[in-house]
Formats: sequence, structure tokens, C-alpha cells
Amino acid sequence: MDLFIGLATGVLFGAALYLADAASPVKMRQMLRLEDLTVFKIILFAIGLSNVLLFAFNMLGILNLSHLSVKTMHLGVIIGGLIFGVGFGMVGSCPGTSFAAIGTNVYKQALMIAIGGIIGALIFSLMYGNFEAMGIFKSFNFGKMTLFRISDKYPSVTEIGYVGLLVMGVVFMAIAWFMPDKRRA
Amino acid sequence: MEMNGNSHGWVFKAIFLGLVFAVSVLVIKPVGVSTQFSMIGGMIHSVIDPSVITEDSSRKSGYRSTNAYYDKSEGSLAKDIKNPLNFAMVFLLAIPLGGFIAWSMDPNKRNKMAQDALRVSGPKSAFEKYYIREILGGFIFVFGARLADGCTSGHMMSGIMQGSISGFVFAACAFVVAIPVAKALKKLG
Repeated sequence: MDLFIGLATGVLFGAALYLADAASPVKMRQMLRLEDLTVFKIILFAIGLSNVLLFAFNMLGILNLSHLSVKTMHLGVIIGGLIFGVGFGMVGSCPGTSFAAIGTNVYKQALMIAIGGIIGALIFSLMYGNFEAMGIFKSFNFGKMTLFRISDKYPSVTEIGYVGLLVMGVVFMAIAWFMPDKRRA
Repeated sequence: MEMNGNSHGWVFKAIFLGLVFAVSVLVIKPVGVSTQFSMIGGMIHSVIDPSVITEDSSRKSGYRSTNAYYDKSEGSLAKDIKNPLNFAMVFLLAIPLGGFIAWSMDPNKRNKMAQDALRVSGPKSAFEKYYIREILGGFIFVFGARLADGCTSGHMMSGIMQGSISGFVFAACAFVVAIPVAKALKKLG
């Protein structure tokens, strides 16, 4: 059953990334140069909608809280995010979009990105012990912290519950809606 | 739709993507992609060095590794490397299939291909010919994503969906660097 769900959600995710133009490294690089913000708008609106839907699922009592998965905040998120930005800006792709692009006309570039990524993951695995010894995962560690109280499992910044996600989601969608698509390069 | 700057056709694409994030957490868990790169890397690693992961029935996962990363959380990654036919891997491998289906059905694909072809026409530099940008870029972003324990999917999309602090911090760090890097490399196309 899990494998079937994996297949179905993977296909939908890949199709959605393609439709959002996120599978096109050219479009993504235009977005990152702030020349064409369409992809950014789509992703921001999508995140906002998912915030609202999470609120709705919880209100309807159909959200299984054990499905939530919040990642730990630590120094690795900051350093890793900055390093990620270098590769993201260079190539205009990221792990998910490079896989979506394997199914499209830019498959050659996409496969090369994926191969580079697998080598990167392997080198990271070999170095993980050193990073751990340096205490990267222990510094700036705030645990699996969330902005709003979505589960007793996670510490939260505020005591506001799912309604916080609703408000944030609406704000994200509004920003996306009113954001201009294009700017003069 | 593509040509009309005032159109809000992008909203339907955004709704589809947002539904995928939300339905994913409803039925199983939030979307995430970069862990699977570590699984594939680990599979290659354990072919080169079969002793890196060994069975250990005393553990819940049933596996132990001499590599600290595979061994983390009671050997959970070690288990996934030895049993790769799981949800996460099927999800990853289904992504190109979804991309292909959407691409095949796209009425604009010829137009888009022409745009991409225009970019790579003419004499190719060694940089383009040997896919230096792609291999190096992929290497760097997956390395960063593993250090951060997530990428654009897991941290930015799924993380911010749940209002997680690490998601906001990751997104801010990634864009702060990616924007100037992309601008600096503009001449490369």
C-alpha cells in the first residue's frame, strides 16, 4: 500500500513541478535572477494553500498528527542552506525538480544534476562523523520547533494553534496574487 | 495563457501543487526528496565496500554501519540502503514519470523546447559540453541539503506548510545565496 501511495504521490508531485515550470532550469534561473517571478508566485501560493488545507484537515478531524514531520533546527540548517543556495543558484534546479526534469526534454542536464547530487550525498555521508564531532548539529539547536502549536510533540514559538497556519496561508496567497510576474532585467 | 502577462492561469498550477503537498501529508507524510540521494549514494557505497553495513539483530532496524551517518537513529538509513524498495524510493522514482506525463500532455512543449534549444545552440563551451554546471551544481546542493537535513521539498515546501522554524531558516539561507549566484552567472545563460 505504501508503495502504491509512493507511486501516486510521486507522479502527482513530478507533474505539479513540471506544470509550475520548476522542472525547467532556465525558468528557475530566471526566477532566481528576479527576472520572472512566476515560479516563485506559484510555489508561494501553493505553500499558502497547503497551510490553509492543513488547518481545514485538522478542523475536520481527518489529519493524522503522526503524519506530521517537522525537522530539527540546528546550525547545519543554516550552513547547509547557504551551501545549497550556491548549487541552486548555479544550476537553477534542486533535488526534486531535477528528478521531475529527467522526464522532460532537458533529461540530459537533469541526469547530470542527479549524478552530481548522488556523489554529493555520498561525500556528505563520509564526512558526517566529522560534522557531528564539530558539534554542528548541536549548536543553534532549537529542536523540532514550529511557529504555531500544531502538535504536542513539537515545541512552538507561540501558543496559537492551527488558526495561525490559516492566517499565514492566506497572507502567503495574497502576496503571491498581488506580486508582479515580471521585472525589467 | 503563457503569453498573457495579466492572466492568472498560474493560480491553477499553484492550486495543483498545493493540493499535492496537503494530500501527501494527509495520506502518508510530507513530501521530501533529498534523503533518497543518501540512500542511492549508500547503495553504491555498500557495493564498493560490502562491510560498511552489516546485519545486527539486536537492533530495531536490524542493521549496523561503520559509517556514522548510516548508523544514525539506530541504523535507520542503513536499513533503507539494504531495503531500498520502500515508500521514499518509489516516490522519488515516480517523480520523473509524473514529469514525463505532464510534459507529453503539454501543448506548449514545442515552444518550450525551442526556447531551450535556442539557449544551447551555437558552439558549446567545455563548461556546457561536459555538463560542468550541472554536475557541480547538483553536487553542491545535495551536499548542502544533507547538512541541513532537507531541501526545497522537505524544508521549504513541507517545512513551511507546517510552520516549522527550520523550514523558514533554510529557505532564507538558500535564497540569500542563490539570488546573487544566479545573477553573477547570468552571462552563462
